[in-house]
Amino acid sequence: MINKAWTELVNPLYPKVCEVTRIIDETPDVKTFHVTSTKGKPFTPMPGQLAMLSMVNVGEGMFSVSYQGENHLEFAIKRVGMLTNALHEIEVGQKLAVRGAYGNGFPVDMMKGKDLLFIGGGIGLAPLRSLINHCVDNRDDFGKLHVIYGARTPADLCFKDDLFEYWPKQRDFQVDVTVDKGDDDWKGNVGFVPAYLEKLNPSPEGKITITCGPPIMIKFVLQSLAKMGYNDEEIITTLEMRMKCGVGKCGRCNIGSCYVCLDGPVFTLAQMNKMPNEY
Amino acid sequence: MKSINKQKLADVLTQWSKGYAVMAPVDEGSAASFKKWEEGKEVQLDKNSTIPAKNIFFPQTEELYDYKAGKDSLELAEAIPIKDEMIVFGIRPCDLMSLEILDDLFLTRGYIDTYYKAKRDNAVIVSYLCGEPCRTCFCESMGIDYQKAEGADITMCFDGENFGFIAQTEKGENLLKEIDLLTEERDVKLSEKQELKLKADTEGLAEKLALMFEHPYWDSAYEKCIGCGACTYLCPTCHCFDINSHNRACGTGFKTRCWDSCMFPDYTLMAGGHNPRPTRKERFRNRFLHKLQQFPERYGKTACVGCGRCISKCPVNVDIVAIISQLKEVDINDQQGMDRVG
Repeated sequence: MINKAWTELVNPLYPKVCEVTRIIDETPDVKTFHVTSTKGKPFTPMPGQLAMLSMVNVGEGMFSVSYQGENHLEFAIKRVGMLTNALHEIEVGQKLAVRGAYGNGFPVDMMKGKDLLFIGGGIGLAPLRSLINHCVDNRDDFGKLHVIYGARTPADLCFKDDLFEYWPKQRDFQVDVTVDKGDDDWKGNVGFVPAYLEKLNPSPEGKITITCGPPIMIKFVLQSLAKMGYNDEEIITTLEMRMKCGVGKCGRCNIGSCYVCLDGPVFTLAQMNKMPNEY
Repeated sequence: MKSINKQKLADVLTQWSKGYAVMAPVDEGSAASFKKWEEGKEVQLDKNSTIPAKNIFFPQTEELYDYKAGKDSLELAEAIPIKDEMIVFGIRPCDLMSLEILDDLFLTRGYIDTYYKAKRDNAVIVSYLCGEPCRTCFCESMGIDYQKAEGADITMCFDGENFGFIAQTEKGENLLKEIDLLTEERDVKLSEKQELKLKADTEGLAEKLALMFEHPYWDSAYEKCIGCGACTYLCPTCHCFDINSHNRACGTGFKTRCWDSCMFPDYTLMAGGHNPRPTRKERFRNRFLHKLQQFPERYGKTACVGCGRCISKCPVNVDIVAIISQLKEVDINDQQGMDRVG
């Protein structure tokens, strides 16, 4: 039985039709998509929240919102599976079905007045960027900002404009970039993120650290932070699991009793230490 | 109490069918399940349905919305569930309790499931109290009195010859009025209640399991499980679902959700190849921890109603009652286990 009339019933599994208005090539396998609906943004997420993007005849997947403008949402998406491969083939004008926002987002209020250290690797900068730009847009609410970011090669660095132009121009904003393997033009640091972090050795004093990247990077970053005296309550990361519903009902994204889609994706290291190691 | 002879059951259902969709356990071959009753269909009440009543409110496959995708166009149309009033006839106390568990999941924690709610709101429940329990029943251990049905609009009992009906709510009273002409006053007594032989003691189990994630118990407990998922499909409280596209011609198609199972490897497999529950061990552990620890932590109740379907239908005799008793007995400080945790 299909009711063809648009309904105002809030159905958490029913998406809105949106349009892709801009596509930016970030790296050979990452593109950023600007998405908007006829009424502007489909919703206004908190930094760190998620959205379910769907090419209806291919599939749907959960992505973090990497930034939001006045009238659009941005998603930085790496080509890894069936849906993301299809997304990498679309052109401006493509319609997507979008639902959200899901998840808890970053604890922005708890971060007010603090210095923030962002440690990202590869596509892991995408969820951090929503918070970094939120801090830039509300600059007076936060203390010093410091981004440490790494990727495999210079070509694999996401958000190059932000990293090398926009962020360094902001007040009290330090950006340090490293690559695993340089090339002839690369003048910056060469080395893995955890080693670079220890070399820079930022003081844990009055600081909240937010990290996201490949699991192996996170693992060693956490070890480095512990060595440098950072407190588990003040280290924050985002987790990912396979998701279908986004509203804590379909079952699969649980880690112990937590649903990542509902209770996460943002957790402190102190919270993660209490969760079973199954993610 | 209002009563009918068993010969008149079809007349009652025919009368109710005039104003409602009557969902009743019908055996059409290999497995009894709740289906829309029509004249000529025989209702199976002598034993519990093979497929639990959850499929009435949470169907095995259910349409979410239609779509039509063109080159630069996309139209969506929400599939609104049928809002006809419905009678759920013959649901047993265990399956009725499972609805409470599904209500917690689908109707609380910030998001209300539109599809589930539409059907749940329009249902009148006629529950069938059990006379003789089955060999695999352990509902008492899950806090159920199998001769009571809290949450039912009408309770129904059967003495082998006659059915007796007692209205429990106003909705139930109204429904009984509709069959006034068919019923007569007569006492119908259930056979005397027996103590169930099968018992599962879950006292303190959730708290114990919270400390047993890394316990070596799981290293061998899963071994005979073949991961077929029958237990999850037949469980009245299992509620995992997948969401899929069904493409038709010319860019049209529809999205459905369908029952999924945590016993399948694809369930948690992510794009890029990482799987947090890669082997049967993790999946088996997840199923039992979810029922006995995680659901109780989140919702304050065990996600099991003791219906015994998973025990009677498991092809390799995985037995949740035996597992509960082993988990209760196992030494939490098992040295090998502590080494692994450390």
